[in-house]
Amino acid sequence: MSVLEMRDVSKTYGQGPAEVAALRGVDLAVDPGTMVAVMGPSGSGKSTLLTIAGSLESPTAGEVLVSGAPLAGMSRDELARLRRRSIGYVFQDFNLLPGLTAVENVSLPLELDGLSGRRARQRGLEALDLLGLADRAGHFPDQLSGGERQRVAIARAVVGDRRLLLADEPTGALDSVTGEAVMRLILAACKRGVAAVVVTHDAQLASWADRVVFLRDGRVIDHTSPPPGPESLLEAER
Amino acid sequence: MSARIAVTRWSWRLFRREWRSQALVLALLTIAVAATVFGLGSAGAALPPGSAQFGDADYLMTFRGSTPALGTYPATEVINHRKIPVPGSANPVDLRDQSPTGALGRSMLRLDEGRYPATAGEIAVSARTAGLFHLALGATWHEGANTWTVVGLVENPANLLDTFALVPPGQVGSPDRVTVLVRATAAQFAAVHRPDGAEVQPRDSAGTDPAFIVLILATVGLLFVGLLAAAGFTVLAQRRLRALGMLAAIGARHRHLRLVMLANGAVVGGVAALLGGVIGLGAWLLFVPRLETIVQHRIDRFGLPWLPLLLALVLATLTAIAAAWWPARAAARVPVVAALAARPPQPRPAHRFALLGAVLLAAGLTLLAVNNPDRPLIGIGGIVGTAAGVLLLAPLLIAALAPVARACPVAARIALRDLARYRARSGAALAAISMATGIAAAIIIGAGAAQAASPSGGNLPDNELVVWLTPNGIQGPIPQLDAAQTARARSAVSLIAGLVQGGTPIGLTGGISPDARIESADEAGVSGKPVVTFAIPHRVGGDTEYHGDEMIPLLLATPEILQRYGIPAGSIDPETDVLTSHRDLSGYRLIGAGRAAENWQPKVQYEAGLPAYSSDPTTLITEHGLKALGVSPAPVGWLVTAAKELTPAQVDKAEQTARGAGLALSVETRPLAADLSRLRTGATAIGAGVALGVLAMTVGLIRSEAGRDLRTLAANGAGAGTRRRLTAATALALALLGAVLGTAGAYAALIAWYHQNLHALAAVPVEHLTGLIVGLPLVAAAASWLLAGREPAGVARSPLD
Amino acid sequence: MSVRHALLALLAEGPKYGLQLREEFVERTGEVWPLNVGQVYTTLQRLERDGLVESDDAADPGPQKGFRITEGGEQELTGWLRTPPDLAAPPRDELVIKILVAARMPGVDVHDVIQVHRRYLVELMQRWTRLKEDEDGTDLSFALVVDAELFRLDSVIRWLDSADGRLRRASVEPAPARATNTGPLPKMRRRVGGRR
Repeated sequence: MSVLEMRDVSKTYGQGPAEVAALRGVDLAVDPGTMVAVMGPSGSGKSTLLTIAGSLESPTAGEVLVSGAPLAGMSRDELARLRRRSIGYVFQDFNLLPGLTAVENVSLPLELDGLSGRRARQRGLEALDLLGLADRAGHFPDQLSGGERQRVAIARAVVGDRRLLLADEPTGALDSVTGEAVMRLILAACKRGVAAVVVTHDAQLASWADRVVFLRDGRVIDHTSPPPGPESLLEAER
Repeated sequence: MSARIAVTRWSWRLFRREWRSQALVLALLTIAVAATVFGLGSAGAALPPGSAQFGDADYLMTFRGSTPALGTYPATEVINHRKIPVPGSANPVDLRDQSPTGALGRSMLRLDEGRYPATAGEIAVSARTAGLFHLALGATWHEGANTWTVVGLVENPANLLDTFALVPPGQVGSPDRVTVLVRATAAQFAAVHRPDGAEVQPRDSAGTDPAFIVLILATVGLLFVGLLAAAGFTVLAQRRLRALGMLAAIGARHRHLRLVMLANGAVVGGVAALLGGVIGLGAWLLFVPRLETIVQHRIDRFGLPWLPLLLALVLATLTAIAAAWWPARAAARVPVVAALAARPPQPRPAHRFALLGAVLLAAGLTLLAVNNPDRPLIGIGGIVGTAAGVLLLAPLLIAALAPVARACPVAARIALRDLARYRARSGAALAAISMATGIAAAIIIGAGAAQAASPSGGNLPDNELVVWLTPNGIQGPIPQLDAAQTARARSAVSLIAGLVQGGTPIGLTGGISPDARIESADEAGVSGKPVVTFAIPHRVGGDTEYHGDEMIPLLLATPEILQRYGIPAGSIDPETDVLTSHRDLSGYRLIGAGRAAENWQPKVQYEAGLPAYSSDPTTLITEHGLKALGVSPAPVGWLVTAAKELTPAQVDKAEQTARGAGLALSVETRPLAADLSRLRTGATAIGAGVALGVLAMTVGLIRSEAGRDLRTLAANGAGAGTRRRLTAATALALALLGAVLGTAGAYAALIAWYHQNLHALAAVPVEHLTGLIVGLPLVAAAASWLLAGREPAGVARSPLD
Repeated sequence: MSVRHALLALLAEGPKYGLQLREEFVERTGEVWPLNVGQVYTTLQRLERDGLVESDDAADPGPQKGFRITEGGEQELTGWLRTPPDLAAPPRDELVIKILVAARMPGVDVHDVIQVHRRYLVELMQRWTRLKEDEDGTDLSFALVVDAELFRLDSVIRWLDSADGRLRRASVEPAPARATNTGPLPKMRRRVGGRR
């Protein structure tokens, strides 16, 4: 079963002559353990797709299912619970709450979900350790470098048993080497069974994905086929 | 539960790490709380306590002459009084026999030095009495036939200006007045037959209950706290918007988001209540000695209304939380996506709340109009309604700024647009400023109105004195002075006028009937003829009696007097006999004019320009009247108008000078009373200062949010000048709107309050109000222009990330 | 071109045998460019002919024959390292020509053509990235070579994106009347003129 399934999703903003269609009949399914990249130029509806997939906005038409459960008809609090338990977000820039240490930021979703402070902290430390940030656990966001902040954000996005990771230009503010390290972490999460959707306009970033979906004017116009093994590359070169 | 702890912990951490960015809000709240605490203290203490006259009694009965037979009341205390004339002064010293252990009068006495008199021949005096008669502890005082040894210095703690001397009970001799303190309920008091000739004063009429004032003040203070907090938290919520969006994105529920803001409100409110309470108390303790000299009664500095005070602090915290609730709710309702982009919610149309505001305002004013001190809730409801109405109307005014902006230069345009766009915070800020200026305006207008509504016990305004030829003033015989005596009297009067920095003394002339006989007043030691006077006849037994306090002497309408009161000579009908400021003289009879009075039908002309104070020339007789009555003019005294209100020291000097003339001259002034005008001026200054402070802080708060704009402006080449103009325009707009709204609100509330007595508001304090409406905005704009030149530290770094 | 200079660079480290040269070349280019022995020997013979390397005359041609760099060879190598490759002359890129043609050919949606190429390029990049993914990043040469390939492909995609955007805008708002502009030729002239 797909972790995320969008069926014929449309979204319009505004009314009357000011009406803007951000998404028009988008279908998308993301299976566990796979990473899907959504590519498109500015204004193609990438970010809207992500916010709708993450239940931050509701579609004008169509259906969104997360782990098989339709979002339509869920109450505000049920959606919040879904976000706490099943969906992790990584944004381009503003990711961490100032005033909370790295480990507190990571364990925040668990605490919001009612886990005791001590146990949440334990899980948060584990997640940070996995990303090689155990020694930074007590630092505040403004004491961390950009790459470290993004790694903490990923740790928070995957902490607990979350199955869906949504990333909006996660390496946008980073240099390419640090960005690559971030993508490796997301990929590693996918290897453990997480389904990831990465929205980007950067082909290098998108090429980390198992499947690249091309979005233009709110429509999915194309996608890549599953790539053949890398051996083919060397033969092709000749 | 764990979620709430996590959210609360985050709020607390944020406050600890970012308290500097909340320092403005915190400072605003602290000041408001401190002002409330201080106000609570002063309000209870500023009013002259009823105990100055009543002690612990409920009723005060005054008899002329000797003690009558009294009925049986639950508790009574009889005090005999005799006037000891003060040479050169029309204000005598009150000699009273009062027990320092009296059941009801105890609280009217305090021993400063020595001991209370115990036997005949011993006396204790107040400090002013000691000064007048040059007495000290252990001195011997010869007064008339009496000789006393001064054994103590005493005071009336409820009225430090009370000039009296104290002898043991029964040692007054022949009293000229007896007061009886009575403790009884109204029913008990009414049930007992009162002796004839008793003047009865119930304690209620002595003034407004301080508790009522305290309650009203506390309400106003808390409202103020609430408005300021609402403005501050709206800004904070806007600042937190992205963090809240983030929190929502990782699955926080609406109530978690609200909790963040509410917890913040609780922390800020609690800290402010604590700090403000300490600062307010400290200021109060430091200010008490000064306040005592202003209000002229002793203040128990630890006798604060502790329970209401504590309650006010708790309420201040709760108010801050309540004030955080609305912005919290609004911030929690912003769509997550908009919050992440830090896009504030669309402002609601201003007119939607304007109607509700108008309704609330009307309701508030109605409640104020029907207010009465026995039902304080009505008054409080009125104030809250008026303030809430003004708060809801504020956005309408703010919205009206947008069209004005179009015509302005760029800096002012940005300032006005920002105010109009972020209506939630600028509306609350405007309401807070309106409230501050409204309080100041209410004090300014209200002080004048209160004075006009109840003209104050004195017979003269506080900046006038009259030098009379006799200790009895114009009542009783007036001696005829020869040329040398007149010259001596004149030079003494000029000297006095110089002492008080007054203008040229105006001679007062009475009329003496040719039928008048020479009389002599024993106690004053003068003899002469009485002047013609209007008085109300009272039938007592078979005799007709006239009371001194109901006499209206007729003074000659000399050109100087007419000029003094701005009455053009041409406005007087040649046939007019009498000019007066009294509306109705029909109950009066002319006395001292002999036979001529019986057939005299004077033509009376009402003249509003003449004063109402009874020792001032209220009623003038024209030359025509003088002839018709056949009386001859005779000088009776001089009127001296000082530049400012007279101080006790000036009065003492004037009396010494009068004594030095060697005649029987006496100086009459308004009885020395606690001079509340200084308190009013102080309150006005404090009110304006608080308004200015609030303004400075809210402008700072609003402009600090525009750090990004400033960065953009700076990048586009705007310099300090633009920053200055931007800030000055913001301050000017807010101050002007706030001052106009506040003054209008204050007037509306006072009109409702005095609606049965509107003429009390007739004298508009133009000078002060102009200062408020024009001066405050100008000062605010100038100050912000000066202070905004420095590049704010925040320009380089965005406050959010 | 580069094989010649790569062999010179290897020989600059010290004398080496032919077979050894081939192994080290493959190893240092991250095993991305395979090279057969024949190529190595042909190149070495040319180098010897040009006097840039010397061989052990005693030994027979074969795997055991050793080579070392001459003084002239070292000069050639340092000169080459500092000479930028010829990037100034626009390469006659087949993709550019395809898009130019497609843009003017009736009945062909140029955006479809662009997307086909874009998808192909992204798929290619995915495969390169997959190589990187399998490698744990310790082989520096390998990483540099793969990055070079990825950046090259990325630049082509970027060009496609920008071409896509330009063509789209041109179709929405027709270009101003082009009285003097009748074909690609004046455009070229204009460009050359601009360099003056």
